[in-house]
Amino acid sequence: MKKLIWFTTTFILFVIFVFPALMASTINMTPSGVQPGYKYDIRLSIYKERDIKQEFVSREKNLTAVATSIRNPNLKNKKEIILNLYDENNTLLRTSLLSGKNIEDGDFVKFVFEPINDSADVKYNFTLSSPDSGLGETIEVFIIEPTGEVLNYTYGEETKEGGVPLVTFHKPSTKWEIVKRVYSNLFSRLL
Amino acid sequence: MKEGIFKKGRLKILFLAIVLRLLVSGFLYHPDIKTFNFQSSFLKKGVVNIYPYLIENRMSLPLKEEFVYFPLSYFVVGGYQAIVSPLLGQGLDNWLANADSVTSVTDPNIFWYLIFLKFPLLVVDIAIAFLLLKFFKDEKDKEKAFTFWLFNPFTIILIYAFSNIDIYSVFLTLVAFLFLKRKKLLSALVFLGLAACFKAYPLIFLPFIFLKAKNTKQKILSVLIPLFILFLTIVPFWSTAFVQSALVSGLTTRIFNPGILVGFGESIMMGLLILSALFFSVWLHKKDINLFNYWVVFLLIIFSFSHFHISWLLWIAPFLLILIVKNSKLTWPVVLLCMLALAIPLLYEDRNMTISLFRIYTTWYDLLPTPFAVMEKFYDPYNFQSILHTLFAGGAGVISYKLLSEKKD
Repeated sequence: MKKLIWFTTTFILFVIFVFPALMASTINMTPSGVQPGYKYDIRLSIYKERDIKQEFVSREKNLTAVATSIRNPNLKNKKEIILNLYDENNTLLRTSLLSGKNIEDGDFVKFVFEPINDSADVKYNFTLSSPDSGLGETIEVFIIEPTGEVLNYTYGEETKEGGVPLVTFHKPSTKWEIVKRVYSNLFSRLL
Repeated sequence: MKEGIFKKGRLKILFLAIVLRLLVSGFLYHPDIKTFNFQSSFLKKGVVNIYPYLIENRMSLPLKEEFVYFPLSYFVVGGYQAIVSPLLGQGLDNWLANADSVTSVTDPNIFWYLIFLKFPLLVVDIAIAFLLLKFFKDEKDKEKAFTFWLFNPFTIILIYAFSNIDIYSVFLTLVAFLFLKRKKLLSALVFLGLAACFKAYPLIFLPFIFLKAKNTKQKILSVLIPLFILFLTIVPFWSTAFVQSALVSGLTTRIFNPGILVGFGESIMMGLLILSALFFSVWLHKKDINLFNYWVVFLLIIFSFSHFHISWLLWIAPFLLILIVKNSKLTWPVVLLCMLALAIPLLYEDRNMTISLFRIYTTWYDLLPTPFAVMEKFYDPYNFQSILHTLFAGGAGVISYKLLSEKKD
């Protein structure tokens, strides 16, 4: 009986205090925040040479992915979707490729690339394109008003404020850093 | 009290058991608790019939789901909330109405809301621990049952992680079986009827009580009393909305899954087939059955042949516990069966079964794959679920055979 009490007490304490840390230690990138809300009917099409260029700020170091919601109506687009990341001087820094066949309509899609270490509070641009897609294979991105991160976008010849509701992702320096952040955030809310 | 149920040793382990339960209550979160508490919060605003209210006001409500439970659940959950909500202030109502999946888990008061909202489950859970004492005469057996109930990880997770309000029904069926043990059929039927007012599954067992009843009067009452009690609690709310939301909701009807197709849209339902065979076998052979064993077998059949919800596993928990206290040889087979049964729903393609239970810690866990997704990388998870379910059904079949072979208690 004592063994059972010990076992269950240890098990529950493990589930509550240790298991979440183990889960946190498997996270290899963290979002800078929550995706901004967007209106379903304000969106732009991307196909052939019609791409979108987006200026944004990375709020944290070790930028390793940019994510946004993408429409792929009727899953028609099965071609390559390319995200090119540039610095402020328009030097190509990273490229991330995805296949349209892996993108469900409305998916929150992450474009992952090698981390950029000194990315905290630095402005970047990216282009999102699908050059091999025809008119019937368009993908669509949503457009929002500017935020602290989303600055302005260029579509066709026009540049406007705002852009795609994006989230940047950052690689933690160590596994311990992420565990520490999870628990300090938890206990700051609890106490 | 005269039996000394609050003995010093018991109080010590009871204290530890409560601490463990409060930890799970506060830190693990399944969104169902917010949904049914949001819906039940309309009771304190004067809404008596929740079923049409939710459908008629769907456009303006932040949470759009229908109320899938029976009316008594609405009054119990809503009534309790009306009592405690003044302690928690307007913040509770704001949290319940918050449809945002991120800010609802990052709310700094979520721990307290969860502990308060799950508190009735704790009361009933502890009541079950004390009720179990009544099933045994021997002091050692009593201690065993009390400790097994309070310190088995299965029920702690089933009740508090998943905010399992089936516990009301479980408690009432346990009371019903205590009365059956004491040969008080009428009282047992009343409690079985009350249990059915929370979840309908005890009603499927009525044919066996009908067979057990000694004379025509008892036989008629064994069917009429539970049905009449259920009838009383649902008739005032009878409407298309109630029928669609609660009476024929997916959860209520999932017990009767189609099985072997016989053509033209008809199929033989495996679980029901075996229950029917069991009923006719008892009837034709005029067996004097042990209702307790048949109840356990009845539940094992349901779990063996249906795509069960994880919360259903609680239905059988106290009865299996009584079984293993009475017959310790069954302990490890039953534990293995419980592990198999728990593993099946944890592999469903539903984040709320696993990873999302921990979203209070951080929403970054949304980035992690579910066990289903991890398994998908190297083996078909549906096939693996089927393997587990088949193993469970096999084990359950043998235990059922053993129980049915036992002579009357």
